[in-house]
Amino acid sequence: MNVTTNNQLMATIALAALQNVEDPEIGLNVVDLGLIYQLDFEETEKKVYCTMTLTTQFCPMGGSIRDNCLHSLQAAFPGYEIIVRLQFDPPWNADRISEEGRKFLGR
Amino acid sequence: MFPSGNYTDPAKTTSPKLVLPFYLYAAVSFLCAAVLLLFSVKDFTGHYFNPHMLAITHIMALGWCTMIILGASHQLVPVIIEGSLFSPFLARSSFIFSAIGIPVLVYGFYQFNMGWPSRMGGMLIVLSVLSYVVNLGLSISKSGNESVQSSFVLTASLWLLVTTIIGLLLVYNFSIPLLPHNSVAYLSFHAHIGIVGWFLLLVMGVGSKLIPMFLISKYQHNSMLWWIFGLVNGGLLVFAVCFLYNSAAYLFFLPLVLILAAVFLFMFFCYKAYRERIRKKVDEPMKLSLLSVLIMAIPPVMMIVLLLVLTGTNKTPAKLVTAYGFLVFFGWLTAIILGMTFKTLPFIIWNKVYHRLLGKIKAPNPRELYNDKIVQVMLYCFFAGLGVFVTGILVESVLLLRAGGMLLLVTAILYNWNVMYLLKHKVQPG
Repeated sequence: MNVTTNNQLMATIALAALQNVEDPEIGLNVVDLGLIYQLDFEETEKKVYCTMTLTTQFCPMGGSIRDNCLHSLQAAFPGYEIIVRLQFDPPWNADRISEEGRKFLGR
Repeated sequence: MFPSGNYTDPAKTTSPKLVLPFYLYAAVSFLCAAVLLLFSVKDFTGHYFNPHMLAITHIMALGWCTMIILGASHQLVPVIIEGSLFSPFLARSSFIFSAIGIPVLVYGFYQFNMGWPSRMGGMLIVLSVLSYVVNLGLSISKSGNESVQSSFVLTASLWLLVTTIIGLLLVYNFSIPLLPHNSVAYLSFHAHIGIVGWFLLLVMGVGSKLIPMFLISKYQHNSMLWWIFGLVNGGLLVFAVCFLYNSAAYLFFLPLVLILAAVFLFMFFCYKAYRERIRKKVDEPMKLSLLSVLIMAIPPVMMIVLLLVLTGTNKTPAKLVTAYGFLVFFGWLTAIILGMTFKTLPFIIWNKVYHRLLGKIKAPNPRELYNDKIVQVMLYCFFAGLGVFVTGILVESVLLLRAGGMLLLVTAILYNWNVMYLLKHKVQPG
């Protein structure tokens, strides 16, 4: 799983929450699909920054997937401000899928 | 804090309120066409140019195939052209003009009244297509996207406009001599501009984007897609020249070979996308869509047989022509739509119903919003009905035509049941 972070412990909590968010077309969660690029935390200001991508930039489900990540992080970090941003540079590619993800997809 | 970089908002999707009426209209049209088919089976034993067959063909081509393609295309514009839809107003206008125009035109054809109903219906349909073409053109221009898929979709929509204008001219030509020959002489021209220019080109353009996307395939080959684009349009232009200059029958093999080459290249593209897919398991709607790519080769192969008979005997084989037209609309295009409906509609509904609730409640998977078992039964009925009906046409058996018509009516009822079930979906309590 290739996610950069400034706080490994909190990132583990965030990733566990994000594992409940599925890409509805593929049926695989966004973490194993490799959609999460970066998770940063500012504990003094109580902020969580999530940088993520989509399998295709103009995915019609993009808004739903992003909002689902936002709500899941809100539930995992009550009292924190959650900011989820989409980034397409570098674009997503299949090499980002985790071993578990590959097994799920039958590869 | 965020690292430096370019951040983007998610693509603006087209409102479901704009798209869903197209799906509903198409589903009801399919049911109406299936009912009319069952009541008109005897017409399928005679010559293909008769009022009932004309009416059924236009419900299928416009009410069923074109309406659902217009709806899906409004939804998929952001994916295909990588930009948002220019004008919801033009999309709504396109629906309203067609929704009124199609039944009026079909009524005119069914009664064989080439006066006001056919003329008014035809004009409304031209207006609808014009709204769509302008909207699509402006959406592409605004997005600045010049991808091969944008070219496929825009060119297909221009061919549709040409088809509908020719159709309107043919309606007028029945009573006012606008063209050198009678309207019946131009039917194959009108039909093939529509089938190849609109349906084939659009299916190839949209399919080249969606098939790798749904299979999660790494395969891309833009130069092959440009070749396919050139072959289809080149074939169509050669066909138009041959037709308008009354060329000998054997010359029509040239456009046919060009289009057949495009079809085989597209099949190869889909095969490569399938081979290089990351997701091993392919779901049922996707299997049907891939099967319809194979079915795509049947009409041009049948056309080769038709041309061979025509050049050999100098007579138009009417039964083969009827079977060919039937296979295009009830076979190839219907197979694509039956597959793609359940790949797109559940996601549109899911987005509409659960978008604001995600992460707060446990939302079902979009695939759980329709009854998969009914889809399976529908597909058995569809393929059985198709085979029996085509056999009925070829052997001129009213009994087989009735049996095939019944199976296709069951297909349409089951399809409508699932579409209505989807459209009525509400948030599940608990």
